[in-house]
Amino acid sequence: MRIRHLVLAASATGLVAIGLLFVANAASARSVQFSPQPQNADNEACLACHATPDMRTQLPSGEELFLTVDRGVFEGSVHGKAGLACTQCHTDIQDFPHDPITASTRREFTLQLYTACARCHQDKYDATLDSVHQKALAGGNNEAAVCTDCHGAHDAQPPDQPRSRIPQTCERCHSEIYNLYKDSVHGSALIGEGNPDVPSCVDCHGVHNIEGPLTGPFRLFSPQICAKCHANAELMSQYNINTNVFNSYVSDFHGTTVVLFEKIAPDQETNKPVCIDCHGVHDIRRPDDPASTVGSKEKLLATCRKCHPGADANFPTAWLGHYAPSPQKAPLVYFVDLFYKLFIPGVLGFMVVFVAADAGRRILNRRRGPRHE
Amino acid sequence: MSETRRRYQRFPRAYRIEHWLFVASFVTLAITGLAQKFAGAGIAQGLIGVLGGIETVRVIHRIAAVTMMLEAVYHIGAVGYRVFVKHSRFNMLPTLNDARIAIHSFLYNLGLRKDRPQQGRYSFEEKIEYWAVVWGTLIMVLTGFMLWNPIATTSILPGEVVPAAKTAHGNEALLAVLAIIIWHLYHVLVRTRNKSMFTGYLTEEQMLDEHPIELADVKAGTATRSVDPKVAASRRRTFLGVYGVIGAVMLLGIFVFVTFEKTAIETIPPAEQVTIFAPLTPTLLPTLRPTNTPAAEAPEATSPAWDTDIAELLTTGCGACHVQATLGDLSLKTYADALKGGKSGPAIVPGDPDASLLIQIQSKGGHPGQLSADELARFIAWIEAGAPEK
Repeated sequence: MRIRHLVLAASATGLVAIGLLFVANAASARSVQFSPQPQNADNEACLACHATPDMRTQLPSGEELFLTVDRGVFEGSVHGKAGLACTQCHTDIQDFPHDPITASTRREFTLQLYTACARCHQDKYDATLDSVHQKALAGGNNEAAVCTDCHGAHDAQPPDQPRSRIPQTCERCHSEIYNLYKDSVHGSALIGEGNPDVPSCVDCHGVHNIEGPLTGPFRLFSPQICAKCHANAELMSQYNINTNVFNSYVSDFHGTTVVLFEKIAPDQETNKPVCIDCHGVHDIRRPDDPASTVGSKEKLLATCRKCHPGADANFPTAWLGHYAPSPQKAPLVYFVDLFYKLFIPGVLGFMVVFVAADAGRRILNRRRGPRHE
Repeated sequence: MSETRRRYQRFPRAYRIEHWLFVASFVTLAITGLAQKFAGAGIAQGLIGVLGGIETVRVIHRIAAVTMMLEAVYHIGAVGYRVFVKHSRFNMLPTLNDARIAIHSFLYNLGLRKDRPQQGRYSFEEKIEYWAVVWGTLIMVLTGFMLWNPIATTSILPGEVVPAAKTAHGNEALLAVLAIIIWHLYHVLVRTRNKSMFTGYLTEEQMLDEHPIELADVKAGTATRSVDPKVAASRRRTFLGVYGVIGAVMLLGIFVFVTFEKTAIETIPPAEQVTIFAPLTPTLLPTLRPTNTPAAEAPEATSPAWDTDIAELLTTGCGACHVQATLGDLSLKTYADALKGGKSGPAIVPGDPDASLLIQIQSKGGHPGQLSADELARFIAWIEAGAPEK
């Protein structure tokens, strides 16, 4: 009888232990779900239904929500390669059947889910909170881009491989701007040749904390964005581009004003142009391109007239075109400058010599006594 | 040597007021102008900030410039009056003798002459200062006009004169300020403490030191020429007539200078006219890649069928009773089952929604597992289309 009791007790304990192990496993599995570290994910439970092609459900708005996740696409994505589990993003899905979808439109559904990215990408997410997209969202514009609109969800790939992917991502919502950009000097080099030296959208606009480009402060700051490359002699020498562009702009009337506004009153608007006002924003061309806004005298006059409606044909040549005066370019300016470089020291030199002699004589006279004065 | 108490009036009040007004405008122009010329320097930026920003500084500069131009118009009139009406000598004019005196003076300073040369009312140092100011003012007004009115300037002259004017304007300003400090301030503040521009008077000692020839003239009574009052009166009339016209023309010129041109518009036009939000269609969705996007992005385009559209409408609401179970002998699991119907009859009659029990019961409402109005409408549309299976 004691042995039977022992066997009973042992098996009971064993069963309880196994049961506890299951419970513990389930519990710990749940807690692992909340960690950002990829686990040995068993996504089969999810894919059993969600790999079904053409799976969809209808939302109250009448829109259809597509629920198919292509297994191959996900496994080829950065998250799939990292071995993430479905439930690491879809944290609210614990059991089957799932809790009912509360979103009434497809967009609402996306907006409910995208904040999951913050769980691992907190810094990027925090940066987006300051962005113009987030501001638009907060202002009621549901179409504004959130993480998944640019990065995708199940198919996330490194967004800059290849680099031409970046403007093509922005193209999804900003297609008109993309069409301008792709023919521009920067865009055609990036998309056509994969040139690493030209800016993509994010090089000028920022990545996650994208500031709205229509604000006054952004406009005042924008010459420095251009200067990042166009004042870099090493970079520009590869393309035979004059690096004096930034300095010549800043030392002349327009640029001096803009720089002073930026330093003293960056929130104020000024009617002086920055680089983009003359060169274009997304449709910048090389100056020797007939479509350039500053290439020919006629084009330049038209550009100047945007702000100087009374200007005549001679007016554009008042601007030295980013070149420092030299005997070949702007000889009048060069020689007037040269004249003063000699005239000023000459005149002042004469004055100093005379004044010194006069002072010296008077001091000497005073020392020698009154009869010498 | 005893100090004589005699003093001689050198500058009547009108001269002094004119001088100090000129100083005020000159200093204002120098500060606001050099801050602009060297706008990259921290101190200039600090100053511009304190004065209210660059646009305010430019306005101050222009106001001071107009003041200086008005002073010039007054000065020409005042000198003209003195010379033509009162018949004073135009003793500010430089002569060859002044050049000789300057050289003599310099050689004396070097110890190569035994005595200092004697000078009249205006010493050569003062004449240099005066004519430098005249030359400087002319250059500044001319180049200043070109900078203030570049459109008018370039309508006649080639564009390059504007940046040439800019460099001349800034350089001349630098020269003027440094010349004032080195030459003028030395002679009136350092060499002697000359108070005549404040009090109007010089002592006899000072007169002996700086203007001995004038002192002799004054003592001899030949310093000023007397004019017959009737002659003076007639000359005054002529002068006022002539200068009235010239002065009016100059004032009109200043007015035109200032108001003539509106160089630029106030608000800069937007750099680009483009629609910002211009989404591509079809909109790409996060959960489906383009290759999988079914053509039925607009579901109305394809006709609904049991397999693709209708069956799933039934699973959520009806499944518990009519798929997992068969209440009322009605199964909605397959198309055939739905057509067969249950105890009460066929659930679906193709082509006839009114005869379809499913529609009747759902339209009445109150049945567990209620279809929404939208879903019901889709059902009816499907039945009307002949209730195709596929």
